[in-house]
Amino acid sequence: MLVLTRRANQSIMIGADVVVTVLEVRGDQVRIGIDAPRSISVHREEVFRELEAANRAAASPASGALEGLAALRPPPERRSP
Amino acid sequence: MSTVEEQLPELHFAGGLPGFPDVRRFVLVRLGDELSPFSVLRSLDDAPEHPDGIEFVVTHPGLFFPGYEPEIDDDIAGRLELASADDALLLVIVTVGDPVAASTANLLGPIVVNRHTRAAAQAVLGNSGYATREALVPTP
Repeated sequence: MLVLTRRANQSIMIGADVVVTVLEVRGDQVRIGIDAPRSISVHREEVFRELEAANRAAASPASGALEGLAALRPPPERRSP
Repeated sequence: MSTVEEQLPELHFAGGLPGFPDVRRFVLVRLGDELSPFSVLRSLDDAPEHPDGIEFVVTHPGLFFPGYEPEIDDDIAGRLELASADDALLLVIVTVGDPVAASTANLLGPIVVNRHTRAAAQAVLGNSGYATREALVPTP
C-alpha cells in the first residue's frame, strides 16, 4: 500500500482525473472529498462489500427453490392501491 | 436456452454488479405463470465459479414494499441517461429462502434500468437505512 501524509485541504490525485481531498481532521474522524468522473463509482467500502456478499448469496438459486417462489404473492394488505 | 428467450431485450450493465464486475449482459425472463411477480435476470456472460452464467430472481419492489421510493443519485441517472423517473424501471434482487416464505429482497442495492436504452446499473444506497435482506412477506 502506498502511504502519503496529507494535511487538511491537501489532495491526492489518482490517475489524471480522480482527486481525493482531505477536508477536515477531527479526533479519529477524517472528512474526505472525492472528485471523479461519473464512470467511476465511489462507495464506502463496507457498504460495497455488503452488496457484493448479498449478490453472491442471491446468485443462481437452486431450480427447485424457484418453483415454490413463483407461487409467492405479495400479501394483500401490503399490495399497493 | 430456447429461441424465445434469446429474443428478449438485452440489458447492459456497463459497470457489472458488485461481486460480479465482469458480468455485463443480461436478459429478463418471466418466471412461472403470468401472475407471478417474479422474473429471472439471467446473464449472457459467465462468471468465476459460475461457468454457465448467473441468475438472479428479481421482483418489482412496489408490490411487496409499497413505501419503497429510493432516491437515485445523479451519477446513476447520468450514466443511464435517465431524463425522468418514468424512464426508469426499478427491480430488486431476491435471495430465495428455505422455506421460500423466508425469502428476502435487497433494498440497499436496487437494479435501475433505462426502459428505452436498456442500460442498467445496481444502485448503492449508502445512507438510506435500507438493508440487503428485507423480508418479502411478514414472518408468521
